[in-house]
This record gives sequence, structure tokens and C-alpha cells, in this order.
Amino acid sequence: MSSRRSHSRHSNASRITEEEINELVSKLQMMLPDAPIRRNSRVSARKVLQETCSYIRSLHQEVDDLSEKLSELLASTDTDSAEAAILRSLLMQ
Amino acid sequence: MHVTKEFKKKTFLKQFLLGLHVSNSISNPISIQQRKNSIKLSADLAMAFARGRTHWTHALITKLGQKEENKSTLKGILGRRYEILMARYSCPLLYQKVQRRKKSVRSYRFSYNAQKRRSSALKGSCVRVSPSVVARNLENRRTKVLKRLVPGGELLNGSALLSEALDYVISLKAQVDMMKSLWRATQVSSSSNVELVPSAPLQKKDASCTIANSEE
Repeated sequence: MSSRRSHSRHSNASRITEEEINELVSKLQMMLPDAPIRRNSRVSARKVLQETCSYIRSLHQEVDDLSEKLSELLASTDTDSAEAAILRSLLMQ
Repeated sequence: MHVTKEFKKKTFLKQFLLGLHVSNSISNPISIQQRKNSIKLSADLAMAFARGRTHWTHALITKLGQKEENKSTLKGILGRRYEILMARYSCPLLYQKVQRRKKSVRSYRFSYNAQKRRSSALKGSCVRVSPSVVARNLENRRTKVLKRLVPGGELLNGSALLSEALDYVISLKAQVDMMKSLWRATQVSSSSNVELVPSAPLQKKDASCTIANSEE
């Protein structure tokens, strides 16, 4: 298959096995937020892809919101106190 | 995976802290929007550094470095390393990869070739024509959106794309968690006068500064 030829440079295996892909899909499935525990029945790969895309989008949005919140906070407080808070959380990690 | 995560926390925090510091001190006055973009940039950079060398981190840093509005913040964060890093993560490498693919694919011209061009996420970069493999595989059509979302995804296919996506999702999650806890910590310190827990001398000094400042 031509798709294999194009894989050869960029993936480790020149042959992408069905199992590899299924394994990756199930791992992705587990990462998604509302993955019910009884996932013995495999959800279709397409569904997983869709949910992964929307999940990535929501994560991007969260980063955006948090950046905005942090920006507002930093604007209103002193640099010192903000950095003190950051140091505190650093030490608490 | 656990070891990677441990590294990630400390590296991320250090890098992000530096970025926040730079974002704060760039120029007064600065609009909230500008500071927000600067913070977002710091977060992404920190995430990429924390993860190490993967395809998506390379693509992400390249993308970040190409934007004109990011340059001053990047210079502030990276300092002397800026030149070196930007040389390493510059467009030509990606462009080369894309050129190679174009050659192998020249004989397969399909109508959705144009669609692929339009969906390329490397807009405004030195890649001018068809960005990636024109695939006849049905899977590629389905992963179209994913390719756009994952940095550097346009160049990957099949299991490589999926494993990159998995890695990217994990890192994004960690990034969001870190930022959340940071925000909470900053919020608490700025809004209340209550001295927070830790007993180390450094903490006490900072806490008293916080109290003094928040009363202004």
C-alpha cells in the first residue's frame, strides 16, 4: 500500500499493524475525560478520534482562559506577591 | 511515563515562572490581552521544554518562534539561548521534510489535494505548496482535524500521528493542571491576608511582603 511507503521515513516500523493502532486508540480512549470504566466494548476509532479532537480543543480553550485569568491577576497584584505565591506552589509540589 | 511526568513538573514550573516574570516586566503599561498572549506563550514553551524532544515539541517551538509578536517575549525568556534555539527550530527542517514527501506523491493528484493545502496549519511559513502526503487512505481523511490540532501533525500518519496525539494530550493535561494550581495559589495570596502554611524562613518573609502589598 502506498501509505506504507510514505510511513517508512517517519515511523519506526515500516509496517503499521492493526494491533498497534488499536492499542493507541484504546490508550487515547483512556485519556479522554469521560471514559466509562466498563470499556470492554471497543468504541469505534472514528469516535475516539472525534472525541480526542474536541478534547484537545477544550484543553486549548482552558489554557487560554487560565492565561487570561493569570494576566488579570498579575496586573492587579504586585510582582513580588505573585512570585511569592509561585515560589510557594513550587515548594509544595 | 512516570519519570517523564516528574521532570515535567519542575521544568515546567521553572520555565513558566521565568516566562511570567518576563511577561510582567516587559513594558508598563501593557494591555491585558498582550500579557495574556505572553503568558500563553510562556506556558506553551514551558510545556515543550518540559516534555523534551518529540516531533510535536519541535513543531510547536518552531511555530512559536515564527510569529513576529512573540519575538520580544521569547528573547526575554531565552536570553542568549534565543539565537541558538531559533536556529535549531527554524522552518527549513520542516520544509525539507515536506519537500521530500511532495516528490513521492507527485503522481497522485486527487481533487482533495487542494483541500489538504487549505487545511495546512503552517500558514504564513515558507511552505508554499501542498503540505503533506496526499493519501488515498480513508483514515487520513478522518484524521484531518487531528492533524491540524496536534503541532506537526500534518507530516505524520497512522500510528505515528496517534502516538504523538496521545503524548500531546498528556502534556496538555499536565499544563492545564499546573496552570490551575498556580492560579489558585496566586489568587489566594493576593486576595486574602491570611498567612499561608509553610514554616521555612523564606516563606515567612514572602508572606509578610504579601500581607503588606495586599493592604495597599
